[in-house]
Amino acid sequence: MSLSSASFLIFLVSTVALYFLVPKKLQWMVLLAASYFYYLSYGVKIVGFLLTTTFTTYVGGLLLGELNSRRKIRVKQLGREASSEEKKAVSDRFTGNKKWVVAGILLINFGILAAIKYYNFAAENTNVLLGLFTDASFPKVNWLLPVGLSFYTFQSAGYVIDVYRAKYPPERNFFKFALFVSFFPQIIQGPISRFDQLAHQLYESHAFSFDRLKYGLQLMMWGFFKKLVVADRTAVIVSNVFGNYQKYSGAEIAFGVFMYCIQIYCDFSGGIDIIRGIAQILGIDMIENFQRPYFATSLSDFWRRWHISLGAWMRDYLFYPLSLSKPFGKLGKYARKKLKGNLGKILPVSLVTFIVFFTIGIWHGASWKYIAFGIWNGGIITFSVINAPVYEKALKRLHINPESTCWKLFQILRTTVLVFIGRYFTRGEDLMTALRMLKRTVLHFDLRNLAGNVLSLGLGAFDLLVILVCCTVILGIGYLKERGVHIRKTLEERNMLVQWLVLLAGLAVIAFLGIYREGYIASEFIYKQF
Amino acid sequence: MSSKKWFVMFIITVLLLTLGVAGMNILVDPFGAFGDKVMQWYTYDFTKNPRVAKIAYMDQHKEEYDSFIVGSSSTSSFPVEQLDRYMNARFYNLFMYGADMYDVKQTTQYIINNYKVKNLVLNLGFINAMRYKVESDPYTGSLHYKTEQSSQFDFLKKYLFANPSYSLEKLRAYKNDSYLQNKYKVFEVGTGAYDKSSRDVENIQAMPDYLEKYPVFKSYPKDRHNLGSIDELIEDTKLIKALCDKNNINLLVLFPPMYNEYVQNFSPQQLTEVYTRLAEVTDFWDFSTNSLTSDCRFFYDSTHFRNAMGKMALARIFGDNEIYVPEDIGVYVTSQNAAEQAAAMSRPISMDDESYTKKVPVLMYHDIAPKSTGPLVISTQQFEAQLKALAGDGYTGVSIQQLLDYVEKGSELPEKPVVITFDDGYLSNYELAYPLLKKYNMKATIFVIGSSVGKDRYKDTQNPITPHFSYGQAQEMLKSGIVDIQSHTYDMHQWAPFEEGKGEGKARTSITRLEGEAEDAFIDNLQKDISLSRKNILEETGNKVMALAYPLGKYSEVSEVVLSRLGIKATFTTKAGTNTLIKGLPQSLRAMNRFGITEDISPEELLERIK
Repeated sequence: MSLSSASFLIFLVSTVALYFLVPKKLQWMVLLAASYFYYLSYGVKIVGFLLTTTFTTYVGGLLLGELNSRRKIRVKQLGREASSEEKKAVSDRFTGNKKWVVAGILLINFGILAAIKYYNFAAENTNVLLGLFTDASFPKVNWLLPVGLSFYTFQSAGYVIDVYRAKYPPERNFFKFALFVSFFPQIIQGPISRFDQLAHQLYESHAFSFDRLKYGLQLMMWGFFKKLVVADRTAVIVSNVFGNYQKYSGAEIAFGVFMYCIQIYCDFSGGIDIIRGIAQILGIDMIENFQRPYFATSLSDFWRRWHISLGAWMRDYLFYPLSLSKPFGKLGKYARKKLKGNLGKILPVSLVTFIVFFTIGIWHGASWKYIAFGIWNGGIITFSVINAPVYEKALKRLHINPESTCWKLFQILRTTVLVFIGRYFTRGEDLMTALRMLKRTVLHFDLRNLAGNVLSLGLGAFDLLVILVCCTVILGIGYLKERGVHIRKTLEERNMLVQWLVLLAGLAVIAFLGIYREGYIASEFIYKQF
Repeated sequence: MSSKKWFVMFIITVLLLTLGVAGMNILVDPFGAFGDKVMQWYTYDFTKNPRVAKIAYMDQHKEEYDSFIVGSSSTSSFPVEQLDRYMNARFYNLFMYGADMYDVKQTTQYIINNYKVKNLVLNLGFINAMRYKVESDPYTGSLHYKTEQSSQFDFLKKYLFANPSYSLEKLRAYKNDSYLQNKYKVFEVGTGAYDKSSRDVENIQAMPDYLEKYPVFKSYPKDRHNLGSIDELIEDTKLIKALCDKNNINLLVLFPPMYNEYVQNFSPQQLTEVYTRLAEVTDFWDFSTNSLTSDCRFFYDSTHFRNAMGKMALARIFGDNEIYVPEDIGVYVTSQNAAEQAAAMSRPISMDDESYTKKVPVLMYHDIAPKSTGPLVISTQQFEAQLKALAGDGYTGVSIQQLLDYVEKGSELPEKPVVITFDDGYLSNYELAYPLLKKYNMKATIFVIGSSVGKDRYKDTQNPITPHFSYGQAQEMLKSGIVDIQSHTYDMHQWAPFEEGKGEGKARTSITRLEGEAEDAFIDNLQKDISLSRKNILEETGNKVMALAYPLGKYSEVSEVVLSRLGIKATFTTKAGTNTLIKGLPQSLRAMNRFGITEDISPEELLERIK
């Protein structure tokens, strides 16, 4: 069931109706049933994977919670007289056990993820190496691909690590925990939520509220607008240009990639808006996943605004642990001693940053192109961290005010270009194709070619105009939000006619420029595959 | 405004938009799914989805028909008027383009169970054995829920909420609609057949010209087509046969003519299988292979034979001697001769062009005078010399009726035919040419301008003009059997300088649309003019008009279609060149070439030109 299909809308309306009709105590059960119903609509067999993750992380949580409380009791039992060494010894013993548990649980879950997403890739590449020496090879396996796998795996892994860190006690009710893992609007494409932020909202009872209904619907409309009107429209050019890049000159390819930048933002953030809108109607606030990434002034700023929940996950569960780990501590000391100046200070951090982005790269999928994508992002960010002092000096020398609008605009433009180059890798057929397309863009760039052919890339003048106008609207609204303007509040203050006209325009645009864009066939969202 | 109010507004707006879309789809009905009761533009609907729209149409008109012909697009070329005549029935052509056996079976079942059916003609092409129930476009290729016996709810949902662009497209097409058939209206609503009015008036001549125009036939694509659904073809035919027997319906099964090179793309084994197994189920008439199926001029395109060919096929079945039918057209196949007939198909055919085509030169004269006063005024002496040379060289003057008989009935023409024509109807044709024609026994045709018959002064303005012969004189010439009188329009060959109050470009000097004249008005004027011209000729002389010479030689697709619909079977231009007449192809009589004869052409030169 695609989020933009009619059957999903029927499912949603029924779920919402049931949710507010049943006794409040049963609300979470309605959500659980709806979530599994929804997941089952993608296939029966894949539920096995979901249940495995739910069960292992649930048990893991319980075990870790048990160890946490036992440790607390034991430390208490030692009493005040015990020396800090004694306390530490007890604590360490528990920590050791907990490490085994957490490692086991994470191994199982990331193991599934790795097997399904990366086995074939690894086997293929290993076979190439093996082929140099022997005839033996790893067979290719056609795995079932459970939708939303990396989203729910990361979400439950975060939970296990938090319980390990005793951030909160584990959830004891298996069914409630199952709801946290499978909550239907988000399971397919995120955002990757945190247990302490989301779970209690799922379990609490919620009274029906017209305010929430209204805001939820508005958010959903905004999401549908981005997805159906913009993303699906740009998709025509994108698949054409990426599918037949040999036919096109550099400027046309660049235009196609630029359209892809628009597509992936509108598709992914549109989907998230729909999800957050649905949750809002149900009385649940989900975290934001995007904060106008097109206004980012640097690549690291971009990653703080784009797919925020993934970035935050990486920060909390990969970046900090790695940075604070013993090997990196040693490396830091060594670097400071051996390398003089800034480089020595930041080398370990840069290395960790690089690892994080490398991981984000391969999170997207098993392919050399995603590794290249990780290296590109990690490389640029590491490079700019290392060279930050150089930039500062240069700015001062050139008498550029880093707070000036012009400089900000330049930074935004620069970031856009860097993100744009990265997109060759995420959308290109494979690494070599991406590189070939990049090469063509650089070596055969001719704007006149684009001007002559822009209408033969798959969309007519009207559709291109629609994209242009819609992007302007999205940017304009983004700018107002950036300046702190509450758009919906401002609108509410206008009279009924104005409000109705805006509503009518919104619905009409979604219907006639979105749903009825062509002989309409509900299309799937891009980010579901990750 | 409270959030509750906003929500109510939201629901109302959504409902309004939904109702708006559904309402538009019902009113405009771009696929004819709801019977197109408002616009009633069925030819558009049939074109968009014949499977749905034809059933929706027939549900409203079932009382008008009692017999049906069903099949894929080649079925269109069997004229229902002819079937009506032969079988004393009212046929409707329910063909659907691209129909496979599933479409045929479902549609047949529906009409038998829901309409009164006396006769059923089933046209089975190889397409019916190539695929079965393939996935098609949900809007344009799907069956009506009534014929498919599928969910009415899904059907309504689909067409009620179809993309409004389809409706807008129909409205736009309606606004820009024109007289001729075009891409969005390819059907004749009254018969259910394709509207081939344009293709049926295109001038068809010698083979090289046709190949130039339709290059697909030049090097016909060689391909291997697999007949993967023979079982379904046989099973469904069985089912239809049983249904017809049960309901006392007269069933006629046909295999249509197919371009010979196309047939070579099928495996002989599979062809044999189809024929032998089908013959076990029912006898059938096979037209797939005959001497004309190797002549691409009898085909609209690689898989569709011309209406002319369908006409011959039906004439063969019903023994109509009035229509030319080559001897080898049509074999009645039974289980006795099925294998033999299938084997014949795999053999390439070639036919001697000479046996059914004829080169016919047409000469165009105007005025004759004792002494030439200009290139178009031929001296009596020169005219006689030319006639003498023609006769001496073995030429026989033939009438247009003889040309028609050659094409329609297959009657033979003299060894060296020539058609002598005179435009305008000058008195000199009667006074000077007629005696010479009699002397040399050369038939000729005079195209008269209706408004100037018997006049020596220009109509309205009374300016003196070259005198024209009268209807009485015309009648005298007709009686001799030497001269035929045909039409040069009534008043569509005006002489601009003599027209009262008409400036440049306002006088109607030929059959062309005037500047700023609407298409409808032009067609109306043309129809009125030709009807008047032929009415006068018929009333004054008793002669029937079936040919027309275009004033100034100017014509268009529209004029050809209009004239053909009025029953004008042969038209003449002023383009120099000979003509190739083809037996069975009335298109070879359209927009024929004529050699313009001037005083300076010597008899020898004339013979050289028309060789």
